[in-house]
Parts: sequence; structure tokens; C-alpha cells
Amino acid sequence: MLKNVNFDLRKGEIHALLGENGAGKSTLIKILSGAYKLDSGTIRLKGKEINPSYGPKAAEDLGIVTIYQNFHLVPHLSVAENLAIRGFTTERGMLVNWSAVYHHAQAALDKIHFPIDPRAKVKDLSVAKKQMLEIAIALSKSPEIIIMDEPTAALSKREIDVLFEMIAELKTQGISIIYVSHKLEEIKQIGDRVTILRDGTHIATLNLRDAELREIVRLMIGREMPIELRDRSARQSEIVFALEDVTNQHFARPFNLGLRANEILGITGLVGAGKTELARAIFGVDKMVTGKMYLQGKKIKVRSPRHAVRSGIGYLPEDRDSEGLCLNMGVRENLTLALLAKLHRVFLDRASETRLAKETIKSVKIRTSGVSQQVKYLSGGNKQKVIFAKWLEANCQVLILDEPTMGIDVGARKEIYDLVRRFIKKPQKAVILISSDIQEILEIADWILVLSDHRVVAELNARETNKQEIVEYSMRLIR
Amino acid sequence: MIPRQIRAAFSNQAVSMFLILIAMWLVLSRLSPYFLTVGNISEITLQTAVIGIIAAGSTLIIISGGIDLSVGSLFACSGVLGGLVLQRTSNLPAALLTTILCGGLLGLVNGFFITRLRVPPFIATLGMLGIARGLALILSRGIPIFGLSPQYLWIGQGKVFNVIPVPTIILLLVFALVFFVAHYTRFGRFIYAIGSNAEAAVLSGINLKLVTLCIYAGGGLLCGVASIIEGARLATIQPAGGSGYELSAIGAVVIGGTSLFGGEGNVVATLIGAIIETTIRNGLNILGVNAFWQYVVNGGVIIAAVAVDQLKRQL
Repeated sequence: MLKNVNFDLRKGEIHALLGENGAGKSTLIKILSGAYKLDSGTIRLKGKEINPSYGPKAAEDLGIVTIYQNFHLVPHLSVAENLAIRGFTTERGMLVNWSAVYHHAQAALDKIHFPIDPRAKVKDLSVAKKQMLEIAIALSKSPEIIIMDEPTAALSKREIDVLFEMIAELKTQGISIIYVSHKLEEIKQIGDRVTILRDGTHIATLNLRDAELREIVRLMIGREMPIELRDRSARQSEIVFALEDVTNQHFARPFNLGLRANEILGITGLVGAGKTELARAIFGVDKMVTGKMYLQGKKIKVRSPRHAVRSGIGYLPEDRDSEGLCLNMGVRENLTLALLAKLHRVFLDRASETRLAKETIKSVKIRTSGVSQQVKYLSGGNKQKVIFAKWLEANCQVLILDEPTMGIDVGARKEIYDLVRRFIKKPQKAVILISSDIQEILEIADWILVLSDHRVVAELNARETNKQEIVEYSMRLIR
Repeated sequence: MIPRQIRAAFSNQAVSMFLILIAMWLVLSRLSPYFLTVGNISEITLQTAVIGIIAAGSTLIIISGGIDLSVGSLFACSGVLGGLVLQRTSNLPAALLTTILCGGLLGLVNGFFITRLRVPPFIATLGMLGIARGLALILSRGIPIFGLSPQYLWIGQGKVFNVIPVPTIILLLVFALVFFVAHYTRFGRFIYAIGSNAEAAVLSGINLKLVTLCIYAGGGLLCGVASIIEGARLATIQPAGGSGYELSAIGAVVIGGTSLFGGEGNVVATLIGAIIETTIRNGLNILGVNAFWQYVVNGGVIIAAVAVDQLKRQL
């Protein structure tokens, strides 16, 4: 994964680590924290070379503490118990010294100046408080180096300010911090230097005081790949699907969207920007609080996936095994599932079902040993084709694809793109393509919506934009 | 040669269990001359009827990923209500309809607990087990209901063509109906889909709540049917009857090879499982074995059947 990465950290420095998904940030962090072992290379701590294949506990003994994005807290235990979990002080051999536990907890919490009740159960804490608790736990281990992985992902502005004050204080104590984040403004605000990784290699290490943010983005994404030109002109057909002022549990601000016939609308943005939440809102998985949905000019009420399917909307979920397929059922049964849900007939015509399945398998080129083969035995690409074909058989009009080519080989990818292109040629059909692969979006989509923080921050013509611009929008460099 | 649908009806496990059933019958016929007589075989199918019909409904519930522990109580309560109607009105059709609909209604209530109140099926039906049993005892005031009309008794004791017991015919009709629903209707397909992956089923547009309500209601209806047969056979409707039938029903489903996790299985297998259970009871009786050993053997067969199935899956 990583190739010849050089990285150095100065005492009392806040060193940011930047890179796209898959660039190697997580891998580097996991090596430093002891979760992964490196194949070759050396790690030096305070001038001395150390055994590079240390484990997580050894890492902490060396003074390297990691705070991960998904909290390593025990939800049903209290704050104090989580703080003490590494070693309860005991007396008389077996009994826990609870007063010492709470005393130790209060001391650790006082250090971060953030009020948390040591007796509160972790599962009752807000995400921000959990984050603070993780930091308190990290600090209680007397670290010299703290690695923070997307620490502000769930914090409000005020909480971020408190966090930054704390980080500044750690700096004065001589603690060094490796700070992984997508938020360029924060990195600029608090960081001293930044290291940029791309495709597992070290690209550059810059001084944040002098660096230009746009230059940083350019270094992150590298050379742009040439996109094959397409000849269809954009946005001339009529609107076939629209969201008007929609709000729900995820979208606090009214969301608007217009999808035109024979168009592939690409939706992209960073993790957490709201891409899958958008799909779930359209498909009726998350209930709409306010707003309207229109299909071919007519208002539709979508309060559950059932309504969405009846109206003609299809959804290819991000997690195809657990949300898209009935794994132990056959290809034929999976293909007809949505169609059957739409119909009102009582009886199954198994003969015509089999005929339809055979036709579909041929036209979509699903590689299977037969209509009855259980889908769990199919390859990832073929499973995806089955789900896609399920919506073709159901004659859906608007198809939402959520990360459709994730984990699929190049050959199958191309076949799926062909299926999508064939689909939108039919009258009144349209596709919403959600993807974090910007290259893919540029290749396939006609029009691109960039999301950030559950809002549309850019509407771009796929032919007239490039990766640099899209990334800048997703990272809120351009407003 | 054999139509694919019928071949599909016999899952691997069902075929194995069928062979084991045949083997049991052969062994028992060697051990006792009374076993393989028309009278005894007919008696076996007769005894299978009540549990078998209940188990048919339970099969669909279990395939959908749920469970119904209240079937024995639904059986008793619906029987009592129907019996009271018969006593008051002497109207046989009304009484029969009441029994069946009462079972269906109680099943619907189970479904309501599960879909609207979001109580897990195990807990919901566990509660209903107590509720329905209590209702049965309250309505009947704890007294068995006698004096059932001869027409009623014919359902349990009559014979068609002087050979085939009426309950056996009803048993076969019920299983044919449930088989048809499971394999030839949309509803049946939805049951399998929900059991296989409820999330994917919902995201394909299936109405999970409605299907669930119908499955439990249907299971309840069948408990009513079974109750009619037992009342007719014994010439009395017992408010304390049906106790423990849920275990026999689930046992039949499981012996047949249907997984308790849902998503696969079929009613034909359950029928075979039910016959195996009855065969054990009947065979041990004929051999003069202490009746209490039946519990041991029945329990042992359930474990053995599932263990063998699990082993086959690993291979």
C-alpha cells in the first residue's frame, strides 16, 4: 500500500496528514499506532531506531497514543470506568478501589477543562462529549505523540474552538500531534506543517503558514486523467424528477434538486456530506419532514420504500449484500423481487418468471450457472448486475445508484457503465449516480452536484469542470 | 420427468428425513406385527393431523424469520369460543367459522404486537401464550365443553369411503393449500424474501408490515382448524388443551429441515417431520415402552435432525 513514505515529526509540532480516500493516510496511521506491521523501512523515536513491528500496547508504552474516528469506548460503562479500563487499582487483591477510580477520572477530566460527569454512562453522552472523553483517555496515558483521526467530524463550531485551545495547550507542553483531516481550513488554522500523500506515496511536506490551499489540493489529486468526450448537450430535456424544499432528520436546510430526462446526475462530496442520506430521503427510507417530491410533474407521496417503488423509483444500495440481495435465493427470485412488489396480482406465473429471468440474464450479461443459482455464489460485479436488472425488470423510471462500482473489477465496471448508458437512452428515464470516485463521476455524469454538510455547494456541468474544482468545492475552499 | 416444482419441494433435508421415516417404519414393522396395518397407519395420519396443521402455519412464520410460541393457546382459545357458540346456537357452520376466525384474530393481534409495537416475535407470542390461555379458561370457566353434535364429531371421527379419516383429508388439503401459497403466490415469495433478508426485501418495495400481519393471522386460522379437529375427535373441547403443542409444532418444522433463522424451508418437509414425531409416539406405544420415554426420544430426534443438517452444511 505505501511506497517509500518518509515522514518526520518535530517536538511540539502539529503536523497535518492529507490525502484522498485510498491515498494511504489510514495505513500510515495504523503503522504508527502499532495496528499494522510495515514490510520495510525504519521508525526512529527521539533519534533512536525502534523495532518497527510494535503492537498497539507497545505503541502506548512508547508514548504514541491514537484517537480513532470510531470511538473505542465501552457504551454501557461509565466515563470513569472507561478512563480506568486499562488497569483498575485494587486493594486486597480482587476488589476494585472505586474511590480511587473516580478520583483518577476527575483528575483526567479536569485536565481537559471540559465538564463531563464521571458517573455518566458513555452511551448517554453526545458525540462531542465522547470525543472529549477519548482525548481525556489519551491524555491520561502520558503521551508524547498523539495521532488524531478526523477529530472534528462531529463537533460544533464552539466545541471545535475548545478542542483547538486544548491542542494549543498540548503544544506548549511539548506534545506533538499528527492531525488527519479533510477540513483544509482547520488544518490551516491549527497546523504547522502538512504532509500530502497520494496513491501510497509521499508527495510533499509543506509549511502551512506559507502554503496556498489551492496548491495543496492540486498536490493531493495530482495529474488529471483525460476524459473521453461525449457529444450530448447538457440540460435540454424536461425535468422528470424534482425535490422541492425537502427537510428531514439529516437535512436541516431545505434541499432542492432537479433531474432531467435521459440525464445522469452525479452526486459527490466527502464522506459525511450527505450522499447516501440523499438517496435514503428520495427512496423513502428516511421520512420527509417538509417539502415535496415530483415525478413527471406530478406530486408523489413517498413515505416508505414501498411508495417509492410503486412510483417508479429504484435504488441500488451502497451495501449490496446486506441491503440489495436475498443471498440464499436464486438469481430468478432476486430479479423479480421489485417487480412483484409493484404488481397487484395474487398468483405467481413461474413459467413466465423463468422466461423473463433468462432474457434478463442474457441481455444484462449476468454470469451465472443458471436462473436457480443462489446469488451468494456470484461475483461482486455480477451481484451488482442482478440488483441493477431487478430495477430494469421492475420498469423503474428514476434509478438511484449508490457507489455502484465500489469493489468491482475494471471489466465489470465498464459493463455496468454500459448498462447505465443503455438505460438512460430510453424515454423519460434518468439516473442519479452517487459516487466518491470523482474520476467516475466525470466520466459518466452529465451534470454534477457537489454536496457538503448536507447541502448542495456546487452545480457543475460535467463537461466544463475538472477534478480540482470538484475537490475544492467539496472541501469548501470555494464558496 | 418429475416436474421441477415438485422436485424443488423436496429440499435436501426433507428427502433425508423422508428416508429416515421409511426406515423407521420398516424397523417398527419388524419389531411389531401391529405396526404396518392399515388401521395403524391410518391412526398415525389421524394423530398427525392436529399438530401437522398447526405446524403448517408455523412453517411459514418460521420461514419469514419469526416464531409463534402461542399456537397451543390460540388452539385452546379458538376451540373454546367456537364450542360456546355451538352450545348457545346449535349452529354448526357458525361455530366452525367462529373457531377459525377467533384463531385468525388472535394471530392478527400477535402480528400487531410485532409490527406496530415492535415487540420481538418471541416475546410477543410468549405473552400471547399466557393471554390466550387465560381467555380460554375465563370464557369456559375452566369447564370442558361437551355435547357436541354428531355432525361436529364426524369431522374428527368420520371416515371417507369408510377408510380414510376425515382429519387426514383435511390435513392433506391444508398442506396442499399452504404449499400452493408458499410457492405459487406473491405472498409466499415475500415470506421467503423477508426471511432471507428483511432489509433487502423492504428496499425492494415489499410491504413488510402487511406480510407479517398476514402470516401470523394465517397461522392463527390454522390453529382454529386444528382445534376443530381435536374437539371433534375427543368429543370435548378442553380449555387446557393444546398445552405444549407449540413445542411439537416447532419440533416438526425443525425436524423437516427448515432453519429457525428463516429464508428457507418448505411445508412438505414439515409434514414429514410431523409424521416422524407421531411415528415415534405411536411406535413406542405399540412396543409397550414407558410413555415418558416418548419425550426423551422426541427431544433427541429434534437435536439429531438439526445436528445432521448443520454437519451437512459444513461439508
